[in-house]
Amino acid sequence: MKILQKSELKAWKKAKKLGPKKTIQLLKKQGLTGRGGACFLTGLKWELVKNAKGNKFIICNADEGEPGTFKDKLLLEKNPENIIEGILIAAYCINTKQAYIYLRGEYNYLKDSLKKTIEETLTASRSSLKIDIIQGAGAYICGDETAIIASIENKRGYPHFKPPYPPQKGLFGKPTVINNVETLANVPLAIINKDWNDSLRLFSISGNVSKPRVYEIKVGTKLGKIALLAKAKNIKAVCFGASGGCIPYNSNSIINAEHICKEEAMLGACSLIFINKKKSMLDLAINIAQFFNHESCGKCTPCREGNTHILKLLEKIKSGKAKQEDIELLEKLSITIRDTALCGLGQSCTNHILTALNHFKKDFKVR
Amino acid sequence: MIKLKINGCEVTAKEGEFIIDIAERNGIDIPHFCYNERLERIGACRLCIVEVKGIDKLQASCCTQVKKGMEINTHSPRVLEARRINMQLLLANHSLNCTTCKENLMCKLQKYASELVIEDSIFGETQRKDEIDNSSVSIRRDNNKCILCEQCVRVCNDIQTVYAIGMTKRGVNTRITPAFNNTMKQSSCINCGQCVVACPSGALTEKSDIPKVLEALNSDKHLIVQTAPSVRATLGELFGLPVGTPVTGKMVTALKNIGFHKVFDTDLGADITIIEEATEFVKRLKENKNLPLITTCCPAWIKFGEQFYFKELNKNMSTCRSPQAILASLVKTYYAKKIKKDPKDIILVDIMPCTAKKYEILRPEFKGEADFVLTTVELAKLLKELNVDFQNLPDSEFDNPLGFSTGAGDIFGHTGGVMEAALRTAADLIAKKDLKKIDYKKIRSMEEIKEAEISIAGKKIKICVVHTMGAARKLLEQIKEGASPYHFIEIMACYGGCIGGGGQPPPHNKKTLKKRVNALIRVDEHKKIRKSHKNPAAIKLYKEYLGKPGSEKAHKLLHTRYYRKSYV
Repeated sequence: MKILQKSELKAWKKAKKLGPKKTIQLLKKQGLTGRGGACFLTGLKWELVKNAKGNKFIICNADEGEPGTFKDKLLLEKNPENIIEGILIAAYCINTKQAYIYLRGEYNYLKDSLKKTIEETLTASRSSLKIDIIQGAGAYICGDETAIIASIENKRGYPHFKPPYPPQKGLFGKPTVINNVETLANVPLAIINKDWNDSLRLFSISGNVSKPRVYEIKVGTKLGKIALLAKAKNIKAVCFGASGGCIPYNSNSIINAEHICKEEAMLGACSLIFINKKKSMLDLAINIAQFFNHESCGKCTPCREGNTHILKLLEKIKSGKAKQEDIELLEKLSITIRDTALCGLGQSCTNHILTALNHFKKDFKVR
Repeated sequence: MIKLKINGCEVTAKEGEFIIDIAERNGIDIPHFCYNERLERIGACRLCIVEVKGIDKLQASCCTQVKKGMEINTHSPRVLEARRINMQLLLANHSLNCTTCKENLMCKLQKYASELVIEDSIFGETQRKDEIDNSSVSIRRDNNKCILCEQCVRVCNDIQTVYAIGMTKRGVNTRITPAFNNTMKQSSCINCGQCVVACPSGALTEKSDIPKVLEALNSDKHLIVQTAPSVRATLGELFGLPVGTPVTGKMVTALKNIGFHKVFDTDLGADITIIEEATEFVKRLKENKNLPLITTCCPAWIKFGEQFYFKELNKNMSTCRSPQAILASLVKTYYAKKIKKDPKDIILVDIMPCTAKKYEILRPEFKGEADFVLTTVELAKLLKELNVDFQNLPDSEFDNPLGFSTGAGDIFGHTGGVMEAALRTAADLIAKKDLKKIDYKKIRSMEEIKEAEISIAGKKIKICVVHTMGAARKLLEQIKEGASPYHFIEIMACYGGCIGGGGQPPPHNKKTLKKRVNALIRVDEHKKIRKSHKNPAAIKLYKEYLGKPGSEKAHKLLHTRYYRKSYV
């Protein structure tokens, strides 16, 4: 995997030589976009914060909690050096002395090795940057950037409405860059490798496959090719994490954001869960609904209250007691949650139902 | 200024204003629960969602800033559909026993549910079966009615800095509760009731004493009632009168009609408070000791002080009782003796703007004095229960000997009033003459911290008036550090003072509160006597019974002491 190539501070040295402005320009030219799912231009994000005056911060979002997503874990295990170097470069570019890594609670076991890498990298780079590891406590919502901010501020891990976006008003009210682990790991490579390509990404592949793992695949690859790699057979659907929704399996489907968006799903952080023909999409929907019911933070009405009723309706369908009007209510409720919830979690937590109802209506039997 | 369209009509706004505020200004009521002009915007209830042309998702109008040329629809079919679903979701987790709920007919949840024409509960019955917390003497907490708008939490934590309640658990199990799921009684709650005023769904209500008062009204005891200064400025609102209509005369008639033998005026207590406090202030000023002097009319602030600042600030707190406690003590001593009755045969009911007064009368040092406290809202309910045609009542006067008050007593009900009243008397005491200038307009505004420097007989005195405990905390920290420049500080726990108390009718927005302040100022201005120490009833009391201000007897009956309070 190209992403596992170690920069060994070559990028850091190059960035120091280029200066912040030119480094940001280089990243923009290389076209590095965020790997968290929103695909925002990383250089642009940095530039927004660089130009702000006063205190500012950088946060590495290592709270990878999306079901079926495990690519950041691989990077934290196999190439933490590049992540730390990416943080160093980001901090240098935006001019801050304080960085945070918000580490997923379940990745606690990585904390010590990460600390060691931080110490070694900081010593080797002779940087005065302070990098603190903040541990999550297991809440899915704390993967949302505004909830991370609240959590680091010692507040309840609640998301905040946007705008203001973190680059305008972030941690402790100061401009803040929040980047995903994979984004930061790519920063050194994008700086030192001329042939670096933004479309090469880490895909977390799981579900009904013989070889579930992280693959490095170009965005735009056909689904059939990916299925072949992971040895997936008799597939009927592919789910994009829990929140991205699903599409029916078609070997010619092109896996990129635009194409999947056309099918009303979301590629997000490139997590593909393959579902074979033996499985019912209703069972999957119940499983995912249980997850969101458990992980809704409770702040906004549609997500907090809505998810329990989604689950209840799905269970009613499963029990065979549901009528057509229950399906209609399920759809109406799903749309309302999507349209009115406060944060990204809420707005996407019913994608799986809406897409499944669209493509696999047969799995949702009513009396 | 920019132009935009709401529901097809062009409106102007400042760049960066929020949709809900512009809509309100233009007469459009967008249903909302979590939004409150005085609190941080959180955008949680998702009832105020609107459609904005060009934006895919519906936007919460309380936290969406307008841009030039925006086209907003606040009541489109798509908006109404989504709003109805969100309302249904709230109702499905709210115990729907409306007819027996204290908030019935005053409830915002009910109002908007009715406006959205919610007829059937599509998501079924509530699953919550939480225990009702009746531990506090002032506030009843029924989590089964909570819709998690967090207004109470934000008022308690951000405005009052009391931190009695907070959020716990998550998702559908989210609850608002004191720390460690303790009861309100164990918490740091100061009983100010600001959470009660903020609550839109009846989850937080005042602890009702109406049944006890009704029972008392049917007893053969001698029944006395006293009414606090601010009640006369707000009671009318609950009977459909415009905000800021003083209803002193009607209120007195109503109380007499329902069976009270004597209606006394807490304003007289206020006048006596001032006489004692001004004496105390002049003495401290002369000795230059224990300054700044802090007023102690507000029981919520007293509890706050006892909990958080007892060690450092006990000496600064005035030992003078609150007007309520002064009048209560006089009723059960002076008045009882005068009418030759055993104090045990007298029942004293206090009509107060305040939920903390329910706590104050239960303090051990005031035992046997006031018997019950009804808030303004409770009094209105009681009068309605007894079928009093309030609007058409004639006026009557308070009863002697504890019914005459000055304008200084009236203004006790709003922020700055206690200070203004005290200055009127202290200035005369220091200058040893009857000064003409008695209006201290600088301290009448709604700003949270108001300071002024005045010179009396060549002496420069720095005063400060503060309302809300969050703002007060700043001053208290300053005193703690020994850096306070002030001689005299007035503290009221509620925003706007007692006219914004926890027992007053909602809403407590700036506009309403300002009108209530003006009502009290008008009452004061129309009084012939506007200085407490000129009150003939008070003068007579001192002559007949108390001796001199600050005398031993006065100290016994009119002063108190404070205790360190702990909380979980």
